[in-house]
Amino acid sequence: MKRFLPFLWMAAVMGTAGLAQVLLNDYYQRVLAVLAINVILAVSLNLTNGFSGDFSLGPAAFMAIGAYTSAILTLPAQTKAIALPDLPPWLGQIALPFPVATLLGCVLAGLVAFVVGLPVLRLRGHYLAVATLGLMVILQVVALNWQALTRGARGISGLPPFTNLLWAYGWMLITVLVIWRIVYSPLGRAMMAVREDELAAACRGVRVFRTRLFAFVTSAIFTSVAGALWAHLITAITPSSFSFLLTFNVVAMVVIGGMGSISGSVLGAALMTLLPELLRRVETALAIGGQPLYGLSQVVVAMLMLAVMLFRPQGLMGQREIGDVIALLLRRDRPTQPVAPVGEARRTA
Amino acid sequence: MIQVRQILPNLPAFALAFALGLSACAAPPPARPAEQQPAPPAEPIKIGALYGVTGGMSSIDAPGLNGMKLAAKQINAAGGLLGRQIELIAIDGKTDQTATTNAASEMINVHKVVAIGGLNDSTFALAAGPIAQKAGIPFVTAGATLPTLPEQIGDYFFMAPFGDDAQAYAIADYAIDDMGAKTAYMLVDQAYDFTTALAKFFKERFTSRGGSIVLEDIYRSGDTDFSAQIAKVKALNPQPDVLFISAVPSEAGITTKQFREAGLTAPIISGDGFDTPLIAEVAGEDADDVFYSTHAGLDNPDPKVQAFVKAYTEEYGRPPENAFAALGYDTLNLIADAIKRAGSAEPKAIRDALAATKGFNAITGQITYMEGQRKPDKTVSIIKVQDGKYSFVKEIKP
Repeated sequence: MKRFLPFLWMAAVMGTAGLAQVLLNDYYQRVLAVLAINVILAVSLNLTNGFSGDFSLGPAAFMAIGAYTSAILTLPAQTKAIALPDLPPWLGQIALPFPVATLLGCVLAGLVAFVVGLPVLRLRGHYLAVATLGLMVILQVVALNWQALTRGARGISGLPPFTNLLWAYGWMLITVLVIWRIVYSPLGRAMMAVREDELAAACRGVRVFRTRLFAFVTSAIFTSVAGALWAHLITAITPSSFSFLLTFNVVAMVVIGGMGSISGSVLGAALMTLLPELLRRVETALAIGGQPLYGLSQVVVAMLMLAVMLFRPQGLMGQREIGDVIALLLRRDRPTQPVAPVGEARRTA
Repeated sequence: MIQVRQILPNLPAFALAFALGLSACAAPPPARPAEQQPAPPAEPIKIGALYGVTGGMSSIDAPGLNGMKLAAKQINAAGGLLGRQIELIAIDGKTDQTATTNAASEMINVHKVVAIGGLNDSTFALAAGPIAQKAGIPFVTAGATLPTLPEQIGDYFFMAPFGDDAQAYAIADYAIDDMGAKTAYMLVDQAYDFTTALAKFFKERFTSRGGSIVLEDIYRSGDTDFSAQIAKVKALNPQPDVLFISAVPSEAGITTKQFREAGLTAPIISGDGFDTPLIAEVAGEDADDVFYSTHAGLDNPDPKVQAFVKAYTEEYGRPPENAFAALGYDTLNLIADAIKRAGSAEPKAIRDALAATKGFNAITGQITYMEGQRKPDKTVSIIKVQDGKYSFVKEIKP
């Protein structure tokens, strides 16, 4: 029975997404799709930042790769003839299905991450943060100047709005499932060992560099999926869409949720998506003298982040997963039964 | 006891998560404050006002929203439209593509607006426009000037302002005809659609009328140090007659200040990205000999312009910050005029009436949509900044 539990969960999520796709209006669908995209971003960033212990600032860069690759591939041929007349003919005449374009974006993002990671991950410290930041700047400059492929600052607009709740939540489930399986497998234990003490891990036979590179490339691949989904939700992308602000937002989700907890990233992404949406309604409702309090949502979100950092610096979930939390809560009812403290065990893994 | 202590640190987190979850499920569609009017007998006509009131666009988007609100208040005070009041649904797009598209969708699907006005930048119009187009809701951009917007988005998309082509041609004509310029230097922000398009059209007109571009340089929005670019200009011999800076409002002041501090005295010219109080605020005494083309000169002696300036000053306690306030005002009046002529507040009827707009007298010039076009032919105003003061120079029909 326990074996099938994850599949039941997945079926339930997809069923709900399907229902929401039919029943909810476009606005709620949009917010839910943004939520799923943010979950993908946060969970995949957590793989490097939380589990293998390399602080990456890559989301904007890898999202841009996913977004631009999929956008150029899915744009209908007749639109391309007008918008991107200088494309090489083999690229100008094809319009690939959305999933194929998304997967090709993944391949490209994975390759770029591999090439960047190869030299950088041999170093320890915050080199990866600087390198991924540099990658973002390089990609922005390339996107600005490679007019034939990207239309430069004008960006690519009029993308087919392929992203619906089924795609968004389907990809979200795949991301969470794959990363969960990686993290709570021997490979994931190796990542955590590297995070805690690289030398000790190496002494125990963990191939440190290979483990870190694997985490970084996997993270980049799923980030590019989020980029493809985002591009086909907003339908217009420009190089300035993929700025440091975007990266900052994802890092905030991971830190608020808890570095080293997948459930935490999901929670962080949900908070940082829904809270600003809800607060925006408060902004207009709480008008003082007819003047809505614009900017309130940003201030409240920033204060919430401060509060989390002050009172719970390890993030809302710390390194616990949702299962640990439920187990902890259940244990209160059966105080006589001795159970190993799950969260503690995981921390020392 | 151990168990309780282990749970306790998590309690605030659970409480927060739970409360949020609850409020997310239970949040009812919020009650919007009516525009301080007594409850009218008929349902109000809901019109969306979509602006990036916070973030990078706020210095031009916030005045735009104020302009729209003023127009709504005046129409309501005069008895409303078709016997109904106007209710503005103003949601902050936060100068962010995701937030702007969410806001547009919320207006259409939750608040059921019949038309949307707003947005002063093409990047955001290109993201929000298709949502309105798909839902069949007319969208009038108040200040996005990319000339190809209506064709790119569709038949429900209208422009209240002129296109970038018109304003770039106007400042090029002014430089050649009134300043006698023969050579120009160009500094172009590479980060925006608007700035690159403006530069392209300026270069096209300036060179086709016999001028020459002596040096073309670039920067990216967000840069704060222009010393490298300035050094290249100073090395030019002879110096260019005019310095054309294609910038968005956030860099208008800082470029002016650094160019003047470096001792470059040639007139600085630009488009409506320079239409911001930031030039005087940031550059202070250095804000001299700056000319830009924009939608309206607020000290234009035209009585309708002066009536608007007076009403705005009375409402907000300060004169309109820039022409985008006038554009916001025009945008709502343009939509209201279409509703009046259509005799209906149905989105389809409003769209058809908008498309048939002929000679609508706006603060920023007459708006007429030629057959099949949704970009108006309008006059362009040239503004001069001297000693930190902005003054209207002339109107040009490019």
